[in-house]
Amino acid sequence: MTDELRFYSNSPHAKGNNSTRKIMLNVCLALLPACVTGCVFFGWKALLVIVLSAASAVASEIVFLLIMKKPFSKIMKEFDFSSLVTGLLLAMCLSAQVKWYVPVLSAIFAVIVVKMLFGGTGKNLVNPAITGRVFAFLSFGAIMYGENAYAQPFTGEILTGATSLTGLLQEGAMPNNLDLLLGNVAGCIGETCKIALIAGGLYLVIRGILDWRWPVIYIAVTGLVSVALNSFDFNYFLPSILGGGLMLGAIFMATDYTTTPDTTWGNVLYFVLLGAVTAVLRYFAKIEIVSFAILLMNLLVPLIDKCIVNRPFGYVRAKKAKEAK
Amino acid sequence: MIIKGKKYRYGIHVKDRKELCREKPIETMPAPEIVKISVSQHIGAPAIPVVNAGDAVVKGQLIAEASGAVSANVYSGVCGTVTGIEEIVNPMGLKQKYIVIKNDFRTDEVFLPNMESFDDKSIIERVRQAGIVGLGGAGFPTAVKLTPKNRLDTLVVNGAECEPYLNCDYRLMLEHPDEIVKGINYLAAALNVKNVVVGIEKNKPEAVRAFSERGMKVVELQKQYPMGSEKQLIYCCTGRKVPVGKMPFDVGVCVQNIKTLYAAYEAVERNKPLTEIVMTVSGDGIAEAKNLKVTIGTPFADIAAFCGGEKEGVVKYVAGGPMMGKNLVDLNQYARKTDSGLLFLTQKEACLDEPTNCINCGKCAKNCPMRLMPMYIELFTLAGDYQKAAKYGAANCIECGSCAYNCPAKRPLVQSIAFCKAKLKEKK
Repeated sequence: MTDELRFYSNSPHAKGNNSTRKIMLNVCLALLPACVTGCVFFGWKALLVIVLSAASAVASEIVFLLIMKKPFSKIMKEFDFSSLVTGLLLAMCLSAQVKWYVPVLSAIFAVIVVKMLFGGTGKNLVNPAITGRVFAFLSFGAIMYGENAYAQPFTGEILTGATSLTGLLQEGAMPNNLDLLLGNVAGCIGETCKIALIAGGLYLVIRGILDWRWPVIYIAVTGLVSVALNSFDFNYFLPSILGGGLMLGAIFMATDYTTTPDTTWGNVLYFVLLGAVTAVLRYFAKIEIVSFAILLMNLLVPLIDKCIVNRPFGYVRAKKAKEAK
Repeated sequence: MIIKGKKYRYGIHVKDRKELCREKPIETMPAPEIVKISVSQHIGAPAIPVVNAGDAVVKGQLIAEASGAVSANVYSGVCGTVTGIEEIVNPMGLKQKYIVIKNDFRTDEVFLPNMESFDDKSIIERVRQAGIVGLGGAGFPTAVKLTPKNRLDTLVVNGAECEPYLNCDYRLMLEHPDEIVKGINYLAAALNVKNVVVGIEKNKPEAVRAFSERGMKVVELQKQYPMGSEKQLIYCCTGRKVPVGKMPFDVGVCVQNIKTLYAAYEAVERNKPLTEIVMTVSGDGIAEAKNLKVTIGTPFADIAAFCGGEKEGVVKYVAGGPMMGKNLVDLNQYARKTDSGLLFLTQKEACLDEPTNCINCGKCAKNCPMRLMPMYIELFTLAGDYQKAAKYGAANCIECGSCAYNCPAKRPLVQSIAFCKAKLKEKK
């Protein structure tokens, strides 16, 4: 063996072939069906929002690293596509009618303030895409009404009234469940077509990136608590799990590795609480609130991780150990 | 009799690459011209050399004597002259005494005296005399393991061989099942236990069949890494959990490796001390992967030459398996009792990626067979807070490498935990 090739390290000397980059690329692939259906439903405007959001997210990460004096070749070598995921997810939860600067500014905010300032991939406290969406919602006020309002799919007609979910929450108007599932309703680019989202989620489950239990728990708890809040009227179950951004949030956003607890029981607690918080906030606020619920629960993750830790194999309870002595 | 092992959810599936030399019979490598035999091939006090430079030795002669209760005798595997006692850095990075013997290729051999009786005491005495240690890799003197403080009721035979690449246990089980069964019976008699279970992973059906045909109780284990780890093996074979900080004998179990049992058979029945070991030479970087029987003290460079020499593009030499083995600086090392493999890894096999940020995916905690939380242990170790790292179970780590194997960020988790363990020990 020649000296240049020689390599020393601690065990293990063999490693599996998964990497952060692969995981992120797979998430991008899983988002593809939702992007495509979004473009089909909402036309070129949706494509523009997706491209603007993704491009500005990636560009802001690279520019930030350049400002931090990291050489360009190293940035490219270590680029893990997580900012692309952030950009795509952000576009998924914006209306296709937004002005061009909304996705750009939100993506820059999401990547730089939420992720890079905390130390880059894996160091963020809250999900960047969710925070970007909340930023857009609060700063550009009218994402739902006014000049940034949702449009009807195919026709492009601007929605003047309530969306199907807010209609349900505010007036109790029952939407058509099949339309909700297929995405034939007004809404954000990526969150209307539930079939595309479920297909992406299934892909992630098959690739071993997503644990199917967590989205299922989240969606089921939200549905059941909504039913309970509406005096156990089970007609509310399907509209509340199919309406709004719940599917998108449950499959792609709430399950983000960085902002979920590390233990199985921690995750159970997190997703049950998340479901309950979503349903309760929806009931009282009467608007779509998934992003706020996830943001709120993200902040509880460090606490959950502190309280719930794995017990080592062969753990003996302290009391029992004393007796044994 | 074949029983299904208890399911164990934790641990990982590794690419086992055993096919490189799975079907190759054990080949005896002729003793080399010069052997260098370490006096510290076991856990415990180093043996004390009883030969001096210039002495003539024959095969099977005692050359270093055990010092103290936890130690082991060392025997010469060749005939020749002692040319000196050298200090060499061993794979662990410690300087150790090595007895250098020049081989004169005579075929004389001396044996241990015939055993007068085969009761438990004399079997244990013979195992101690023959210098047998745990040949699975730990190197704990077997005689000490056979004299536990409390009464045992089960002997578990470790035939899992969960490490990738390695096939030496498997080949021994296929080629010498009768001898191993005899070894099992001797050690069971020494321990006074009736219940013997042989744990074999189910990817070795021929071995499972070989032992069940000979009337052994075989537990067919699921194929999972690290199935051969003591605590996990005991759980899957007997359903007992070894409590944290306790040893297998606390739950009445003794675990013995296949190679140890074979060595015990040779010592008890054929009066042969431990001078040869079976090891797997493998990896994409060696011309021909082989299962070899080598004399203890054989230089690794000679072993490489015997297997056709190394190919181009080798980036790592590993003594042992790829998951827990030691990275060698060069081939200036000599076969020891506990070596079970010598691997020549190319860049494709050995992961050389640089670590990136932890993305908190939790895969390490999900896979850890000891149910620890490696990401926090690493975090606090890097911050220098070893006490906090200990809270997440640093001291219980078995360093199996399951966490680092699947880490998408390629964090050197095992290294951090091992460092933390060393620091905690220092404090004590």
